[in-house]
Amino acid sequence: MSNVNVYKQRPDAAQAESPLFHASLHELVGKGSRNAGVNLREKKLLGHLTLRGDASDPTFASGVHSALGMELPVALTLTSSGDTSLQWMSPDEWLLIVPSGEEFAVEQKLREALAGQHISIVNVSGGQTLLELSGSKVREVLMKSTSYDVHPSNFPVGKAVATHFAKAQLVIRHTGEHTWELVIRRSFSDYFWLWLQDASAEFGLNISQ
Amino acid sequence: MSQINRLASGGRVDRSQPLSFSFNGESYQGFAGDSLAAALLANGVDIVGRSFKYSRPRGIVAAGSEEPNAVLQIGSTEAAQIPNVRATQQALYAGLVANSTNGWPSVNTDMMGILGKVGGKMMPPGFYYKTFMYPQNLWLTYEKYIRKAAGLGRAPTEVDPDSYDYLNQHCDVLVVGAGPAGLAAALAAGRSGARVILADEQEEFGGSLLDTREQLEGEPAAKWVAKAVAELEGMPEVTLLPRSTVNGYHDHNFLTIHQRMTDHLGELAPMGSVRQRMHRVRAKRVVLATGAHERPLVYANNDVPGNMLAGAVSTYVRRYAVLPGRKLVLSTNNDYAYRVVLDWLDAGQQVVAVADVRANPRGAWVEEVRARGVRILTGSAVVEARGSKRVTGARICAIDVASFKVTSPGEVLDCDLIVSSGGYSPVVHLASHLGGRPVWQEKLLAFVPGEGLQKRVCAGAVKGVFALGDTLADGFEAGVLAASESGFKAVIGTLPSAEMRHEEASLALFQVPHDKPTARAPKQFVDFQNDVTAAGIELATREGFESVEHVKRYTALGFGTDQGKLGNINGLAIAARSLGISIEQMGTTMFRPNYTPVTFGAVAGRHCGALFEPNRYTAMHAWHVANGAEFEDVGQWKRPWYFPKNGEDLHAAVARECLAVRNAVGILDASTLGKIDIQGPDAREFLNRVYTNAWTKLDVGKARYGLMCKEDGMVFDDGVTACLADNHFLMTTTTGGAARVLDWLEIYHQTEWPELKVYFTSVTDHWATMTLSGPNSRKLLAEVTDIDLDKEAFPFMTWKEGEVGGVPARVFRISFTGELSYEVNVQADYAMGVWQKIIEAGKKHGLTPYGTETMHVLRAEKGFIIVGQDTDGSVTPDDLNMGWCVGRTKPFSWIGWRGMNREDCVREQRKQLVGLKPLNPDQVLPEGAQLVFDPNQSIPMTMVGHVTSSYMSAALGYSFAMAVVKGGLQRIGERVFAPLVDGSVIEAEIVSSVFYDPKGDRQNV
Repeated sequence: MSNVNVYKQRPDAAQAESPLFHASLHELVGKGSRNAGVNLREKKLLGHLTLRGDASDPTFASGVHSALGMELPVALTLTSSGDTSLQWMSPDEWLLIVPSGEEFAVEQKLREALAGQHISIVNVSGGQTLLELSGSKVREVLMKSTSYDVHPSNFPVGKAVATHFAKAQLVIRHTGEHTWELVIRRSFSDYFWLWLQDASAEFGLNISQ
Repeated sequence: MSQINRLASGGRVDRSQPLSFSFNGESYQGFAGDSLAAALLANGVDIVGRSFKYSRPRGIVAAGSEEPNAVLQIGSTEAAQIPNVRATQQALYAGLVANSTNGWPSVNTDMMGILGKVGGKMMPPGFYYKTFMYPQNLWLTYEKYIRKAAGLGRAPTEVDPDSYDYLNQHCDVLVVGAGPAGLAAALAAGRSGARVILADEQEEFGGSLLDTREQLEGEPAAKWVAKAVAELEGMPEVTLLPRSTVNGYHDHNFLTIHQRMTDHLGELAPMGSVRQRMHRVRAKRVVLATGAHERPLVYANNDVPGNMLAGAVSTYVRRYAVLPGRKLVLSTNNDYAYRVVLDWLDAGQQVVAVADVRANPRGAWVEEVRARGVRILTGSAVVEARGSKRVTGARICAIDVASFKVTSPGEVLDCDLIVSSGGYSPVVHLASHLGGRPVWQEKLLAFVPGEGLQKRVCAGAVKGVFALGDTLADGFEAGVLAASESGFKAVIGTLPSAEMRHEEASLALFQVPHDKPTARAPKQFVDFQNDVTAAGIELATREGFESVEHVKRYTALGFGTDQGKLGNINGLAIAARSLGISIEQMGTTMFRPNYTPVTFGAVAGRHCGALFEPNRYTAMHAWHVANGAEFEDVGQWKRPWYFPKNGEDLHAAVARECLAVRNAVGILDASTLGKIDIQGPDAREFLNRVYTNAWTKLDVGKARYGLMCKEDGMVFDDGVTACLADNHFLMTTTTGGAARVLDWLEIYHQTEWPELKVYFTSVTDHWATMTLSGPNSRKLLAEVTDIDLDKEAFPFMTWKEGEVGGVPARVFRISFTGELSYEVNVQADYAMGVWQKIIEAGKKHGLTPYGTETMHVLRAEKGFIIVGQDTDGSVTPDDLNMGWCVGRTKPFSWIGWRGMNREDCVREQRKQLVGLKPLNPDQVLPEGAQLVFDPNQSIPMTMVGHVTSSYMSAALGYSFAMAVVKGGLQRIGERVFAPLVDGSVIEAEIVSSVFYDPKGDRQNV
């Protein structure tokens, strides 16, 4: 543990501004169309950790399991347990999302369980946020935005991919039949917000909290 | 009723919905269900434009996408203007405003027409090449004149208020065309459960079935169409796209479809609707059921309004209940064309005669026509149309096809409509977009799609299967094949029965002979849109153009927006005859996307305006906006450029900000710098290999500046990297280089040194960075942090952990200004609060926010480089006088070491980075200015370098610059000259590139 610099980065009490803070989404709640085809909410200020390690090493997988109680997801999938989700990002990379404020404790727990292994855990909570899109027209909005095939035969619930979206990149997670999540980078969040408003305009957009 | 040519009943138009529209300023009325062309014909509008070169009056010829003449400008307001709209493909809507694109002041009395009559002699093919190319400097003048005369339509000068977008589609089977073959294919594929897209360019599905007199299951074919469409609509995995032209067939079965979603409703899309959509389709299999276009015959004056395609007239009569004339003459070489005679008789109109080039035609429809008392002149053809603005008669003669001669004086028959049919050309365009060269089939007298490398299958008329029953079966088979090849099991289905009809072979006829030689006969048009005549093609071959591609370019055959849909085959048949070779030997030209013109709106989609390019913002952006910052684009980032106060301009604001940093303290939002978290036992070794300098001895808690080179030894990025723990580093990169550097590290790790245990993770967005810089920065920071800022406890080039403004932070004592500086990093979610606390605390310390411009000046005063401004990919560390940053004794051959030791990189007289001090201290050298040693030499002067950065320094009190100069480091104290565009010359002294505090005392305090 001492050969990396780990510390609690989130203050216990301080003014927090999520990436979409300045969009004032809370003021838009309920002001959208009645039968909106698309519902959007920001699942903000969660703990995001990037985990790197050797998936083929059984001690890595078992260490992750003992720390999180979750199996490492296989390629292009995501597993969830309560408010915690673990997503495969690349052959040696996973994205762990935990409730806000738990990321420091979880990182310590993981580091303890994986002690002695060559791994990396990086807190990226401030750098990204989660948007949840739900509704009957979300698939159309995604089709306008990415060339990845989002048809359920190719993109079933439980699948997650990092891909391009409009003129930027993000992660798409299919979390329920009509529910999807986008993991977006902080600095691009205004662009995605603008794009999503535009792409959902013809279907009606509603903001929820 | 003003629609003088409208039948009282029949057709697929809705007479209960009359629609008003205007054409060239005149008001007319049509019905819902009309195309604009149908509505114009219904109102007796003969002339829709003037021809491109000769300015001859032209009328509607066809009923579909092959229409060459009725290419109109649509739109009642400036913002709604659309050029290049084929009236045959535009649905009529209430209030439609259309205008001819050619023919000023009026298409009926065109002043150019007079010119056109003599213009024929003046403007032979190749005229533009021959006449307008020289002298070259006049080409622009010529072009303006030609463009105006050519009437290509015009783009709107106001912003289009409508929304256009893309939709990315994936399917198992894409069926192109919803005629009989396409519908059958879609049904077969759809029933298997495959994901199917059926796209058709017309307003409704059905293709030829919408106007055929043939029946299916003993009922009008349109009834079966309705049933088929209903069945397809009920299939959840089938997407139906009417008004959607498949315009391009690209590599890897990627096709683009241009859907006109609201163009049939009005000139502006209803609120909230998307007007046009570009479907970007990736299809596992493609069924091309694109059908065939009827070929007109080429005869004298065949362009006079009232000369039409035979099949088009059937379409106007049966689908739109419109009569484009009263007294019809048909000239044909095939049986199928006889349907127009039957349709015309059914509509109660007069058929004057049929001229059939065949000696003794006895097909079923021929006999039916004969039985109804129509005069059929066999072995004959219409050789010449009479009339100028409208057909008034047809001269029919006996002809001998083999000797290409007129064999009888013939007779002139009184008529107002000549329809012709020279056979059917399969629509091979999409099949040839990727290089599948069409193949001539003599028995079909047609080119059919050649072998294609794509996963496609052709069905129906496009491959020469013309009889209705065969077409349906062929389409069904293609659908079954495409579905099974994409992994679906075909379901047994039935097809409607079509009547069998005896049809006889047609006789090859393209150009009809005239008693005069082609060059002397009245003009026989081949390509209407480009005014290419049979005589022109003959001339081209006489002048030595033998390749079909050369004939095309010399005559402009097929160069119009219609891509020669009507004229190409006739043109190359004429060229072949003229050269004495077969059509097969002649070959055909190829087609390219797009099949029909596409609006720029659809091409751009949503990637315009605010969505043209992503803008990236930092966590403190709202504060910058609220405090009046001007912004600069750095990559995709919006960075504060400067913070003007009380109407300051850039220079005044920057001078104030610079002095504030030098004398008090400034704050900069540095969040955009790239930040990469590096973990692993081999992290340090990795840094040794990617940076030019050594990292072995950097202790935990310390930071170091590093230079990165590409393999060629040229500087590629730079930044400060800190050792957070033995196995943990934080690298910073330039703002623009962040993604590039991370990719670079990954590439080397994954491909060259996978054995090194190290992981890289971007944390650029996670950390917000605020830089406090200036002599008061320690005092200020002390008020908001619990970190011990004592110079011994927290020296230059180290970092500390602690709280700043109540938020956990890492603070780096590094400096890009040469002043005492602290870079505060906090999780971005909490940065705004911390920033505001620092601003508040800074009031009594004279804290001044500054932007990138001030940062640039301050670093330049210190001689610090900016990669990409002072370097350009051809500069080594030694060129920058930064040899101190090169680890010449590092054991591993790090990236760039071999490159920078190449002979050329170590020679004398390379361009080297130096400072320049203009002799006139108020004169600022322009960045990019070329430098010479002797300003009096003759032009072209020998250039010895250029200015890379140049500013006015408020702290120094004079202007200064950085520049690369040949052998510059040996020329300190010498003069260089910058000759400027206006003829003036700025003289400057070569000095050290470090202007301010050369010993670095200020940053070490």
